[in-house]
Amino acid sequence: MPDYGHDLLFGSFITPSNASPAQVVALAQESEAAGLDLATFQDHPYQPALLDTWTLLSYVAARTERIHLSGNVVNLPLRPPATLARAAASLDLLSGGRFELGLGAGGFWDAIEAMGGRRLTPGQAVDALSEAIDVIRGVWDAGNRSLFRLEGTYYQVDGAKRGPAPAHDVGIWLGAYKPRMLRLTGAKADGWLPSLPYLQSLDQIAESNAIIDEAAAEAGREPAAIRRLLNITGRFGGSGDRLLSGPPAQWAEQLAVLALEYGLSGYILMADESAVIRTFGEEVAPAVRELVAGERAQRAGTPEAGR
Amino acid sequence: MSEMPEQPLSEQPTAGQPTAGQLAAGYGRPLRFGVLLTPGGEAPEAVVERALLAEELGYDVVSLRDEPGGADPWTALSWIAARTARVRLLAGAAGNPAVAARAAAALDLLSDGRVELTPAAGPPSAQGEAIDVVRGIWATHERAPLRYDGEHHRVAGAERGPAPAHNIPIWVAGDTHPGVLRLAAAKADGWLLAPGGESTTQTPGTAAAPNDELTAAPRHAPAVAPRNAPAATPRNAPAVAPRNAPEVAPRDDLEVPRDAAAFRNELAAANALIDEAARAAGRDPREISRLAHLTGRFTAAPGGFLTGPPEQWVADLLPLVRHEALSTLILATDDPETLRRFATEVAPALRAALPTTRPGAPRSLFVRRQRREGIDYDAIPAALAASAVEPGDAAFARVRSTYLRGGSPGLVLRPGTPAEVGQAVRYARTQPVKLAVRSGGHGISGRSTNNGGIVIDVSRLNAIDVLDKDTRRIRVEPGARWSEVAAALAPHGWALTSGDHGGVGVGGLATSGGIGWFVREHGLTIDHLRAVDLVLADGSRVRADEREHAELFWGVRGAGANFGIVTAFEFEADEVGDIGFAQLVVDATDTAGFLQRWGAAMEAAPRDLTSSLIIGQARPGQPLIGQIMAVVDSGDAGTIIERLQPIAAAAPLLDHSIQILPYEAIMHVPHAVHDAQGEPVTRSGLADHLTPELSAAAGRLVASGRVYFFQVRSVGGAASDVPPDATAYAGRSANFSLVAFGPGRRALDELWDGMLGHFSGQYINFETDRRPERLLEAYPEPTLGRLRALKRRYDPDNVFRDNFNITPAEG
Ligand SMILES: Cc1cc2nc3c(=O)[nH]c(=O)nc-3n(C[C@H](O)[C@H](O)[C@H](O)COP(=O)(O)OP(=O)(O)OC[C@H]3O[C@@H](n4cnc5c(N)ncnc54)[C@H](O)[C@@H]3O)c2cc1C
Repeated sequence: MPDYGHDLLFGSFITPSNASPAQVVALAQESEAAGLDLATFQDHPYQPALLDTWTLLSYVAARTERIHLSGNVVNLPLRPPATLARAAASLDLLSGGRFELGLGAGGFWDAIEAMGGRRLTPGQAVDALSEAIDVIRGVWDAGNRSLFRLEGTYYQVDGAKRGPAPAHDVGIWLGAYKPRMLRLTGAKADGWLPSLPYLQSLDQIAESNAIIDEAAAEAGREPAAIRRLLNITGRFGGSGDRLLSGPPAQWAEQLAVLALEYGLSGYILMADESAVIRTFGEEVAPAVRELVAGERAQRAGTPEAGR
Repeated sequence: MSEMPEQPLSEQPTAGQPTAGQLAAGYGRPLRFGVLLTPGGEAPEAVVERALLAEELGYDVVSLRDEPGGADPWTALSWIAARTARVRLLAGAAGNPAVAARAAAALDLLSDGRVELTPAAGPPSAQGEAIDVVRGIWATHERAPLRYDGEHHRVAGAERGPAPAHNIPIWVAGDTHPGVLRLAAAKADGWLLAPGGESTTQTPGTAAAPNDELTAAPRHAPAVAPRNAPAATPRNAPAVAPRNAPEVAPRDDLEVPRDAAAFRNELAAANALIDEAARAAGRDPREISRLAHLTGRFTAAPGGFLTGPPEQWVADLLPLVRHEALSTLILATDDPETLRRFATEVAPALRAALPTTRPGAPRSLFVRRQRREGIDYDAIPAALAASAVEPGDAAFARVRSTYLRGGSPGLVLRPGTPAEVGQAVRYARTQPVKLAVRSGGHGISGRSTNNGGIVIDVSRLNAIDVLDKDTRRIRVEPGARWSEVAAALAPHGWALTSGDHGGVGVGGLATSGGIGWFVREHGLTIDHLRAVDLVLADGSRVRADEREHAELFWGVRGAGANFGIVTAFEFEADEVGDIGFAQLVVDATDTAGFLQRWGAAMEAAPRDLTSSLIIGQARPGQPLIGQIMAVVDSGDAGTIIERLQPIAAAAPLLDHSIQILPYEAIMHVPHAVHDAQGEPVTRSGLADHLTPELSAAAGRLVASGRVYFFQVRSVGGAASDVPPDATAYAGRSANFSLVAFGPGRRALDELWDGMLGHFSGQYINFETDRRPERLLEAYPEPTLGRLRALKRRYDPDNVFRDNFNITPAEG
């Protein structure tokens, strides 16, 4: 089984509820204080109970210093790619390279259409996402002096000025489950970002990895060019051998196995309680890092010191 | 330079037509100054710096230009929102207006109501549709989803909301084309003269429709920047120019109008057109603010319009703000020195030249349309108008309802000082509508919202202070929540027993009882009360304690809602360390047996144990579940287990969790918006013992399926040490407080009425039955007689009547 060798990322997935905006911001700040690498927010622009994710990301970025931020995942159908690219680059610049672009093809088409968005079939949505990635990378290519043109089926750019370029290589991470999306991930994206509750079994991770790897190879890319992340849910305390239901040490062992055997290198915990975020950042994350580092060192044939 | 930011919420409504004097000064609006900055593509942090400088210099508004290849203005403005505290954020709504409306609401919520909006540039028809969609998304008072079938924009059943924090004003930005002016007059809150139809935001990928209706451009662009060219200084202008020299490098394409008089005439004509169109639309012309982008240069020698020394700028601008109703001047420059000079040498002179007291502008037609009958909105005292919320206001969605009760008041007054509470009472009592008083909005018996009436909401009075460490004397205002009180006292090692839910407000609970987690050890919340500050029915303020207004102080402790609005409570807190907190899940199939055994165990327990139980409805295929929650005032595991064992034995234990925690941890509840609908249906009673008969009756009640849940809290202990006539809370003999929540009034009353013989009294806070018998249960004679006499003395006209109303004794 693969281990793509990425350093590990740990993050939070915070509900951007508009009932108490200050609380949402505070949870992101607490994620940073707990040592997490990432704070992420879902994006459903048709859902009035949620704060607009883009606005919130920008606001939170200005209220934090170290932590990276991402939509989880940004709703492409209601956020046209050229605008999105420019906004993403702007946020990456303002935040000193702390923005990552989790991106989704869209799924709730009734709601998208109700907002004035265009309804697409799942297949069309994958094609549109593929085009959108080209648009985004085209806008970011500010070093390119030529005006940007793209005649797509879903998106057209008609000789726009490019730029700005982001401050760092913003990762484009796709929320993907089905084969076509997985292949697109392998061919064009920088990361794969599914959610554990939507996966049938751990085998599905292995199968999806294989599809991504193959698509990457076809596109002439290294499989390691695509980071594998996972949104997770769970609870601390309780007992039993269910996944992510037990003391922090048990979480750490399970997440280490997922890293070493399933190639995952990013874990984003769905949590709206500061105590849970703290435990994840302060207890689970360091323990997973230690376990994974130890095992990687052993696999590399360099026995750990003191052994 | 920003004593009074533009804030429609805060403007005092003024009736009638504008006077010449008002017209002569921005239609009564406070004069504001803004900046239009350019977010550069490579280093957008520079624009953030400028924005912070602008706030520091006292500018009122920050807006960002949208330039190809530059940073995204919305992103940069959201960032700026997070780094500033006061300045208003003028944002451009680009792209899909339904998405933009939610984004603007989010930014407004995050920034505490500092957003202003311009629709994306485009033909007036497209802008008009965008405004309709934006307002439609914000209109949360409308139940049906938003449908809009326009030529430019379509919405097919989008959910509405969120409502922004305040009424976000919408400015139509454009030139003096009649289509633009008519749009501003018909649908917007103001017109922003931005030559060339320049909007503050125009993002790539959302290119505006062609300017079809704008092609008939005015003969000459009157203000400042030429069409189709950015108005401000270029990015490569020197950042700080030497003083006493032309600071801003002139730009070839910058055609500064040379003729101030021509500009003024153009503006006057535009204003006249707006005024006329506004009247035709049934609006007061003063509703429509007039704003303008300005460019200019500070030069040593006088030049043309806005080119010259500061004195000339003042001379050029003064007629415009004095006579042409311009009330917001937005300077388009990225040069810090120009920003500084304008702020220090031009703006103060303009302000000084205008009258200091300004009448304020009326609320817009869109707000006034939602007003209710019977309330004289124009008579709201000026100090309260600032924070008052009426049905057409954006903030209404957040104040109309309470935690358990849906409401639709005609006016919510939010006084911020005791004096303002007095004004609110004096005003409200003259209005022929219902009056409700609200602190934390968790009232059950207390109807702290209504339909078409007035609410005096004192939640802004929420300070918590320690008065004296030695006697643990604290002062708490009514709008504080018990979670906040617990958190504030924790560092001192203190706690004040309140109730079991941290979201409950101080005002409603501490005027009526307070059955909390230390009730058996330390008594009721009101037993800790040493003094109150109170606003009476005539609006006057008194302090009541054991010596001053002693009888009133007696009445406030149990029936406070009848006598006034408490604006501060002084309590004596208790020393409390870590506590044991248990949640036990039991099989309550034998409901009567469970109640009886738990009741007996509680009566026998040491006072450091307090507990409550709740029984819901059985789920199909599962046993009836009971939940016990218990607090042991001890950090010692052995003691905690010992105390819990007898109550855990009351029924078969299915699951449990026991933690040792600070008290504040169990009171912690995040703030949430109250948006209940309908009316809670409850019945309650105080009982001395859970006798076999009462337990059996309660068992039948639960089994009837006509209650959502049934709850018993232990009382007794220290609460029973206080004589029944020492306070207006008379039910001192009770060891238990019982309450049932049900779906239907009739069914619940029928069952509960049959149980009345088992009760020894009534705690008003859980009872929603309004039949007069309940009053005598809560306040048995001689208590009721005393209260009636007190009511006659302090509230003879029965102003305060939203909660267990006591009618004044007959003269
Ligand atoms: C979930 C929940 C749990 C509860 N648990 C407990 C508990 O464990 N123990 C307990 O004792 N009670 C409990 N209560 C009842 C609670 O104490 C009362 O409902 C109380 O009135 C709520 O206070 P508030 O300020 O939040 O209410 P509001 O709705 O703001 O006010 C309720 C009423 O109190 C009066 N009032 C409010 N402010 C003032 C003021 N400043 N001056 C004078 N009168 C005022 C008014 O008549 C008003 O109608 C609970 C209520 C809820 C909803």
